[in-house]
Amino acid sequence: MKKLLLTLAAACLLASAAFAEKKEVHILSANDMHAKIENFPQLAAIADSLRALYPSLLIISAGDNRTGEPLNDLYEIPAYPMVVLMNMVGFDATTMGNHEFDSGARGLGELMHMSTFSYICANLMPAPELGVLPRPTQIFDVDGVRVGFIGAVQINERQTPDTHPDNVVGLSFTPVLETIEKYSSIREECDAVVLLTHIGYDDDVALSAEVPWADLIIGGHSHTQLAGGEMHNGVLITQNTNRLQRVTHITLTVEDGRVIDKKAENIEVETYPKKNKVVAEMVRYFSDNPEFQRVLATLTAPMTSYEQLGCMMTDAWRVETGSDIAFTNTGGVRYDQLPAGPFTVSDVLRLDPFGNDTIQLELTGQELKDMLIATTYNDTYGFPKVSGIICNVIFDKKHPEKIKELKITNPDGSKFDLKKTYKVVTNSYTASIADSPRKDQGRALNRTTASIIQEYLEHQGTIDYTGVERTFQSVSKK
Amino acid sequence: MKIRVNRTVVEIFDGAKSQHAVLRYLAHRRLPKSLLTSGRIYDAYGHEIGLDAPLREGQTIKFKK
Repeated sequence: MKKLLLTLAAACLLASAAFAEKKEVHILSANDMHAKIENFPQLAAIADSLRALYPSLLIISAGDNRTGEPLNDLYEIPAYPMVVLMNMVGFDATTMGNHEFDSGARGLGELMHMSTFSYICANLMPAPELGVLPRPTQIFDVDGVRVGFIGAVQINERQTPDTHPDNVVGLSFTPVLETIEKYSSIREECDAVVLLTHIGYDDDVALSAEVPWADLIIGGHSHTQLAGGEMHNGVLITQNTNRLQRVTHITLTVEDGRVIDKKAENIEVETYPKKNKVVAEMVRYFSDNPEFQRVLATLTAPMTSYEQLGCMMTDAWRVETGSDIAFTNTGGVRYDQLPAGPFTVSDVLRLDPFGNDTIQLELTGQELKDMLIATTYNDTYGFPKVSGIICNVIFDKKHPEKIKELKITNPDGSKFDLKKTYKVVTNSYTASIADSPRKDQGRALNRTTASIIQEYLEHQGTIDYTGVERTFQSVSKK
Repeated sequence: MKIRVNRTVVEIFDGAKSQHAVLRYLAHRRLPKSLLTSGRIYDAYGHEIGLDAPLREGQTIKFKK
């Protein structure tokens, strides 16, 4: 009998020891990569190194994987390079960022179909336009530890993510907090709960107060560089700045069905000393993108001045956005010569290389006039290039940097109405530096100015700007 | 939308990123625009946010040359 009791006691001790075993969950997280494909060889090497130590490593993205790099965004299937590279690195899941919708629902659906990782987003409602449905939640079994993820994307006052409204036609979204709370039962099913959000740091901190049952928030959207992670309301929050400068290695220690310790550290990607050679070769392949040599239009006569190229750029913005007037700072026109012949994608990207967004404003004639003058004073390249108006600028003889008089006329030479309201379009740089009084500051159309020029050239087929001149500059006699 | 950059409130287009608010701030203060690339941008809590961080109405950011 005594022997039996001793055996039972030993068995109980063993069982309790097994029950109390600590296990670690390792997560490598990225956010707001914005198609920085050049850093993928280093990212892959970091993933390889961690995976050698922790074979069950989860690799997770908090969204905005795409947009911001022409090599990726202008690929035949936009953002295809990022999907291929994320597949190669071995990503397990991503949530949706607002930029995941930049190719519209159908484009996103295509990419989801090609991805070997899952898309977790609870506040995007199922829609036939997507073809493939995102998961609201996903549970990963990491060496016997159940790790539950709930995903969510930022929505604005229109109840959609920040992208061009046309991109989310047919899609509907629900509020972040109430949607996450709807899936709170995941807490009972899992040892660890992770909120994978693309809502910005401020909202992540606010969210942590409402969902203390979560262990971790892997965040994105605001490009906030945290030192490892921050603890708010008992929830660990992580996020890095954009374009794969850093990633985060998160360690959750789980015991007895709950997280007892959590920590996070940043890993520098850009300066990481090792590269995965296979991924580097794939990046090289994507960098030789034949799309850049695609002919958009034919120039029947050479372009020979900043004026001509600036007129073409602003014509493109005015026509393609349905505006009355367009203008750009002259510094935004990056070359002044282009021979007759093919006008390629590469030519457009050299002409307008900054990734500027397109800004549309409603301005009175007077407000436009003030804005043109303010742009001149804040751009070192002189008076802007324009479309939809003709400008005669007279600089002051005594102070040649000052405009003494600006006369604006309509293209047919008739009087320009300073009191009338016009729909005006410019680039985000010009809209920022033009510090002049106006009622409407405008709104971003979430389309790069370069992409609009490409569209315009394709629609035109052939172009000829011989003799086109719309800004005439002189110096006053006194 | 209105954004506070250091001690100055600037008004900028909807959809602006951190760099746009700083550019307006520099123009308003008549400072060289080239400072944008040599400076650093932080949120109200002191976290670095970079040039392309999305902004929202009423947000405070800090620009350090």
